Amino acid sequence: MDSQHLNPSSLKSRFTARFLRALIKINAQKPISSSSPREIFQRYRRIKVAADKSMAYSVRSRRTWSRATLWKLRSRSRRLLASSGRRSSIKTRTTTTTTATTTSTNHRAAIVEKTSHEKENKEDHVGLAVQAEELRELVPGGESMDLCNLLDETAHYIKCLTTQVQVMKKIANLYSLE
Amino acid sequence: MEKDQVFMGEGLNRAAAVQAGWNSCSFEMEMETDELNCVGSCFLNPKWHNSMDQSDPFESALSSMVCSPAASNAGSTNFPASGDNTMMTDLIGKLGNICNTGDISPQSLIKPPNNNNNCNSNTSCYTSPLDSPPKLNLSMMGGNQILKHPSLVPVSADPGFAERACRFSCFNGLNAQLGVTDAEFVQLTRVSTNQSIMVTGSQVHVPDSNKNTLQDGNSCSDKRNSRLSRCSSPENGDSKDESSISEQIPGVGSSIKAQNDANARKRKSMPRGKAKETPSPAAADAKIAEENDESTAKRSKQQNDSAKAENKENPKPPEPPKDYIHVRARRGQATDSHSLAERVRREKISERMKFLQDLVPGCNKVTGKALMLDEIINYVQSLQRQVEFLSMKLATVNPRMNANTEALLSKDMFRSRGSLPHSHYPMDSSALAFGLRYQPQQGLPMNNGISNDTQIQFSMNPANAALHKTQGLQLPPVDGISDANPQIGSFWDDDLQSIVQMGFGQNQPQSCQSKHS
Repeated sequence: MDSQHLNPSSLKSRFTARFLRALIKINAQKPISSSSPREIFQRYRRIKVAADKSMAYSVRSRRTWSRATLWKLRSRSRRLLASSGRRSSIKTRTTTTTTATTTSTNHRAAIVEKTSHEKENKEDHVGLAVQAEELRELVPGGESMDLCNLLDETAHYIKCLTTQVQVMKKIANLYSLE
Repeated sequence: MEKDQVFMGEGLNRAAAVQAGWNSCSFEMEMETDELNCVGSCFLNPKWHNSMDQSDPFESALSSMVCSPAASNAGSTNFPASGDNTMMTDLIGKLGNICNTGDISPQSLIKPPNNNNNCNSNTSCYTSPLDSPPKLNLSMMGGNQILKHPSLVPVSADPGFAERACRFSCFNGLNAQLGVTDAEFVQLTRVSTNQSIMVTGSQVHVPDSNKNTLQDGNSCSDKRNSRLSRCSSPENGDSKDESSISEQIPGVGSSIKAQNDANARKRKSMPRGKAKETPSPAAADAKIAEENDESTAKRSKQQNDSAKAENKENPKPPEPPKDYIHVRARRGQATDSHSLAERVRREKISERMKFLQDLVPGCNKVTGKALMLDEIINYVQSLQRQVEFLSMKLATVNPRMNANTEALLSKDMFRSRGSLPHSHYPMDSSALAFGLRYQPQQGLPMNNGISNDTQIQFSMNPANAALHKTQGLQLPPVDGISDANPQIGSFWDDDLQSIVQMGFGQNQPQSCQSKHS
């Protein structure tokens, strides 16, 4: 055996570990064999969230898109918790939801303002506003970045996405083999 | 002015020489050109006044420079160290004559057309390295003796000379930079109504004689040198000024072009400074002061034109060692800070686009930013859809999770991973070195993680070359390369087993480390 070692701290390994953990947890919650489409859909959603979350966590907060993804996920979970918390009073729920909503709204507003301002200043000469806009929608957290940083984030995001896809493919293959 | 005119003819050479010599740090040709240019412009350039204001030491040095050549006049190539006002005035007069007569040296004629276009945009101040040699040739008037840098290097010992020289010279380029003829010409041509800067052959002759005298002005030029910083060229190390200058401009090297560039940049800032300085050092020389005033008045007009650029450029040139990125305007392009920033930004964007092109498969044939972006968008969308599809697949697949399955899963995962880190972490030199193999350092998993993190961070700037190289090696097919490194898999078997059995134990690095250690 060669001394070929995989870097245990590589992005891929981190993501794999996390994702597998989450996957195992999800699968442990409900048996798959007797799942209805609805349950399958729910599981799908959870797995997707787990995948995104795992990847974002693997990247930590070094990247804007990872921060945005984590923020989105957390706010969503907060909202879900708030909405599903039966014990919490309506006020609390509303407050929490409002808070979450307000936060998100403010965040979005700030982002949009900044984005528009930046876009005005910086993209006039390039003429790629349309594509840049599309890219911003695709890349999480891309609304508040100028083209230069957006491309940077896109590159990293693409890299992480490819990693994610590869790992998930492997896992799916393994699962299907078993 | 009459006197000046009288002197013009005689003093032209001297002036050129003076300038060249005074500059200690600057090249001869630069000096000559600048000298003449300055002289011509000084009369006509209103900017002179302002520039003189700022460059008090400059003026003194320059005037002393100017004086010395004048003193050594008489056609002798060697200027006596003594520079006196009379000589200066002679020189000035001559220069004035030249300017007034509208004689334009062929070189100057050649240059201005090119430069005029750029003048307005102040591009002349920035000369690409490639440009400087030709310019220098032009200024040199067909390669006259101007090239005798060493001789020119010595600054005239006459402080008054330097002072006057400063005044009369176009400070645009004089700041020991005298190198960029283009800028000089541009400025001068713009300034002087006659466009008469004649950096003619007469100018060429000046250098030799002037050089010696220029040394006298070292003291004056010292102050200037400090200001000139980038202007001086190492070649001028002869005089003490030169040494100081060369210290200030370590990076300039002996290349004329570097000097020209620096000169060009400096020159922009100098005119204003010089104009300001002019009055103060002029105190010593009343006569010169008068002339300066005249020239200053004329310069003021010019100054306004380039004020903007100078304003923006001024802070930059005097402080090269700052921590920001120095950007030079390209030849034929605008030099205002907005354009420069814009250009920098555009370059950054195109750099990143290239990087993305390597990342996205099938983008090599696509040209143009718009199409590239479309491709990138499509690719990102496809990746996201793939993730969704795979998660759906995972949701439907029934994973019979048992120890074996997990071990197999992990092993396969890590095994396939081995073939891919190359593509994913191109910045890892070890990965590059070992092809698809990945070699984490044993016993230092945390360090690996750290280094990996830095690698992952996609610092586009430095590792782009390596990155591109790596990227070129793959995007490896997404579908399993599981068998690529069976060795890795086997190696990792133990680790993975431990990991899996620990339920993906808390600290993978630690577990790995334990294995490694």
